[in-house]
Amino acid sequence: MRRRLALALMLCCIPVAPVLAQEKFPDRPITIVAPFPPGGVADLTARPVAAAMEKILKNPVVVVNKTGAAGAVGMSFVANSKPDGYTLLMALSSISIIPEADKLFDRKPAYTVDQLVPLALFSADPTILAVGANHPWKNVRDLVADAKKRPGAISYSSSGIYGTLHMAMEMFSHAAGIKLNHVPYGGAGPALTAVLGGHQDMLASGPAVLIPHIKAGKLRALAGWGAKRVAAMPDVPTFKELGYDIEFYIWAGAFAPKGTPEAIMKKLRETMKQVVQEPEFKDAMAKLETPIAYMDAPDFQKFYERDGKMLAEATRRIGRIEEPGK
Amino acid sequence: MLETLQNLYLGFTVALSPAVFLYAVIGCIIGTLVGVLPGVGPLAGISLLLPASFGMDATSAIVLLAGIYYGAMYGGSTTSILMRIPGEAASVMTCIDGYAMTRNGRAGPALAIAAVGSYIAGTVSVVALMLLAPPLANFALRFGPPEYCALLLLGLLALAYMSGGSILKALAMATLGLLFGMIGIDPMTGFFRFAYGVVELGDGIGVVPVAVGLFGLSEILLTAGEEAPPEVKKPRLADLLPSRQEWRDSVWPIGRGTVLGFLIGIVPGSAHIISSFVSYAVERRVSKHPERFGHGAIEGVAGPESANNSATSGAFVPMLALGVPSGPIPAVMLAALMVHGISPGPLLIQQQPQLFWGFIASMYVGNIVLLILNLPLVGVFVNILRVPYPYLYPAILIFCVLGVYAVNGSVVDVWIMIAMGALGYILRKLDFETAPIVLGVVLAPMLEMSFRQSLAMSSGDYTIFLSRPIATAMLAAGACLLLLSMLSLLRRGAGWRSALGLANVEKEDTHET
Amino acid sequence: MATKDRIAGAALVLFALFVLSESRALPLGTVRQPGPSFVPVLLAALLLAFGALIAAIGGRSERFRSLRWRELPHGIAILGACAFSALALERLGYRITVLIVLFFLIKIVEKKAWLATTLVALALSFGSFYLFYTLLRVPLPLGPWGI
Repeated sequence: MRRRLALALMLCCIPVAPVLAQEKFPDRPITIVAPFPPGGVADLTARPVAAAMEKILKNPVVVVNKTGAAGAVGMSFVANSKPDGYTLLMALSSISIIPEADKLFDRKPAYTVDQLVPLALFSADPTILAVGANHPWKNVRDLVADAKKRPGAISYSSSGIYGTLHMAMEMFSHAAGIKLNHVPYGGAGPALTAVLGGHQDMLASGPAVLIPHIKAGKLRALAGWGAKRVAAMPDVPTFKELGYDIEFYIWAGAFAPKGTPEAIMKKLRETMKQVVQEPEFKDAMAKLETPIAYMDAPDFQKFYERDGKMLAEATRRIGRIEEPGK
Repeated sequence: MLETLQNLYLGFTVALSPAVFLYAVIGCIIGTLVGVLPGVGPLAGISLLLPASFGMDATSAIVLLAGIYYGAMYGGSTTSILMRIPGEAASVMTCIDGYAMTRNGRAGPALAIAAVGSYIAGTVSVVALMLLAPPLANFALRFGPPEYCALLLLGLLALAYMSGGSILKALAMATLGLLFGMIGIDPMTGFFRFAYGVVELGDGIGVVPVAVGLFGLSEILLTAGEEAPPEVKKPRLADLLPSRQEWRDSVWPIGRGTVLGFLIGIVPGSAHIISSFVSYAVERRVSKHPERFGHGAIEGVAGPESANNSATSGAFVPMLALGVPSGPIPAVMLAALMVHGISPGPLLIQQQPQLFWGFIASMYVGNIVLLILNLPLVGVFVNILRVPYPYLYPAILIFCVLGVYAVNGSVVDVWIMIAMGALGYILRKLDFETAPIVLGVVLAPMLEMSFRQSLAMSSGDYTIFLSRPIATAMLAAGACLLLLSMLSLLRRGAGWRSALGLANVEKEDTHET
Repeated sequence: MATKDRIAGAALVLFALFVLSESRALPLGTVRQPGPSFVPVLLAALLLAFGALIAAIGGRSERFRSLRWRELPHGIAILGACAFSALALERLGYRITVLIVLFFLIKIVEKKAWLATTLVALALSFGSFYLFYTLLRVPLPLGPWGI
């Protein structure tokens, strides 16, 4: 009997906990979910962020990798978790694509975009178009001219269908009015290997990944998707300079579930603002050769909406592929 | 050559400096502990512990990870041999004869041969890695989708040799496994296939829960309910080491496994998993007593274990020589390098000689540490078998759940393991082998993707498979193998029924009384 | 005569038919441009053929009825324990789930003494948690009250 009483008492305590938590946030470990495996961009950004947050909040912050279905598993996990500020998400650009792809296939969406609220943007790297060094194209004009002559003959590899690298190439080929042959691979690594091995002609990927191979003379960069040129590649033009109105970034930013109390959101945003000032965080990002592109929630929200709209359009343009290769 | 030796000397001064050496030892111990968890092999082990290495300097981190990687591989074979639980997909083949040896009271020799075989394969393949990496890496990159597709088909054909019982049944099981592998998002079009609204199935069924369920769990289901507790011959001290005959039987399988594994390993992608399957098939084929396989043939442990180990070293060839993330394990290693500000790429060896050669040297050191660590442990591990089964199996069960859950942090994986355990139980009651299912699940996504990528490259022209020399050569070899096995079937003439293995079903497992 | 092979072959055929009917929801594509259901349909057709062959020439294998299922009740209890652990793992946390599973298997299924059960269950659940979660940082679920 006494045991049962004790149990009943404990059960009574549970609903009280979140109420108390609002008064003093945080009082227990915060979890940042990285929806991709260890070693990926989301994971590698989340870990220094967590370390810096831990220092600022004097409270444990742990990174958990919840992977699966191109990130949908982790993202829907956070979208459907309790909005108390203790479960956060480190998402990449693909967060806007998955619900759109679900719509395309009439699937019950894993989560909707409005279930997650942006907190802070940490990095936004423009993708770079790189071709195998043995190809004759020296610039985008050569490439477009050749592609118009031989529609569908020039191929590119991507990290997967509807993946970020696919989106970037789709925007380019749409803007240039050319038809390229898309061969998806199971990740950005295999896609790069395919171009290095000469099996596909080109790919779009992040500068940090491409630079070593460009320096070694195996790849040639033709253009970048950023609004500005990439600092490490000052002689590679942007598509905007070349007259194509396209912009695309692989970005990483933190999100919280919708409905998180305003006070906690404020506290988290302030923490993130301090995070990007931490020397350890700056150092970690510099090692990854990823420039910090911090934005607070209001700016990030605008950026995120514009980016999401562009990606949604591209996704719809690609449409359902019933017969690949067409 | 002289330069290489000089560089290697540099590497050893790095690897044997007390701090770095300590990390190698710690890595080996951690790896062995994690690797004992069912399903947590080298890849999962490194992924889980990668974050812990972020705080160290680059050389220590890489050395620690290399230690974990080797340790996990050794640890995985231990559970395969003692409990029939594959530590990872590649140790599935070790389960079959390794566990049969345990049943015969030869657990000690099986563990010892696995350790020695892994050691030899590990060391030899590191030498090969060191000397041949640059030329081999360029060859490896020539493997595009058509070559990959041909290689996997070749791996599937090896199946015809692998089965102990009926070829027809083995083919049916492989097809079943391939079908299981179709679950998830279609990589070419984005369609969800057979997922029934379970988001977690998007990436497909993992190999780990399938292997642990079909092998480990089904074994528990079959044994725990027997009226008399299962009779495992208690090992005596004299039985801990292999006999002279067992040593002699293992020499060639270890040699063949090492070469075979290394060659398969250098191909970019995840094909290295098939190395242990192919090695098992080869050993069975060349053996004078193929009927011993499945009942505790030591060649069936020595070959696949060596192949497995050298294949994963081979996987580092493109990574180290070209900085290409050529498979899941090298990809994680490259990420670890990037965290420390080292941009992996073709210039890695020139720019970071102490890192590259330190890594090579620590692979030598790690192999020796593990051999020293594992041989005395054989005596300890074998004593686990003295624990009464009613206490042992609940513990194994807990570790199965823990290991399968830990790999992805997903309960769906635990459910898959349960379903596969039930399926394995029924299939084994009906005299079907379950290893081909695992092979099917492993191969299905790669095979389908490379097949459809090839067609996407050629706009639907099937001659792409015949216009590329490597692919053509492999397909021709596969066709020859097929023809040869058909011939031997025909030569046995009227015995086709028994050749198909249907008339007189050979017992696959020893627990059928 | 219902032999083991006939039953197994028939089950494989049924499964293949099920896959074929489920594949109708997906586009098949063409031989030159295979769609998402192309390879599954191909494999299901193969499985259908293999299953039918096994059933057709399996008339001489052991009779299905000669199979003995004496370990089945035990097996069901073990599967039940696994299913419970899958349900409870993320709700009750790792340690409590493991404790319950071990008590069920060792005490109720295997009928061992209370003392031994308690010792083994406590040592295994807390020991393995300490080793893998605390020392090796393998992420394991915590239950309510952080246990």
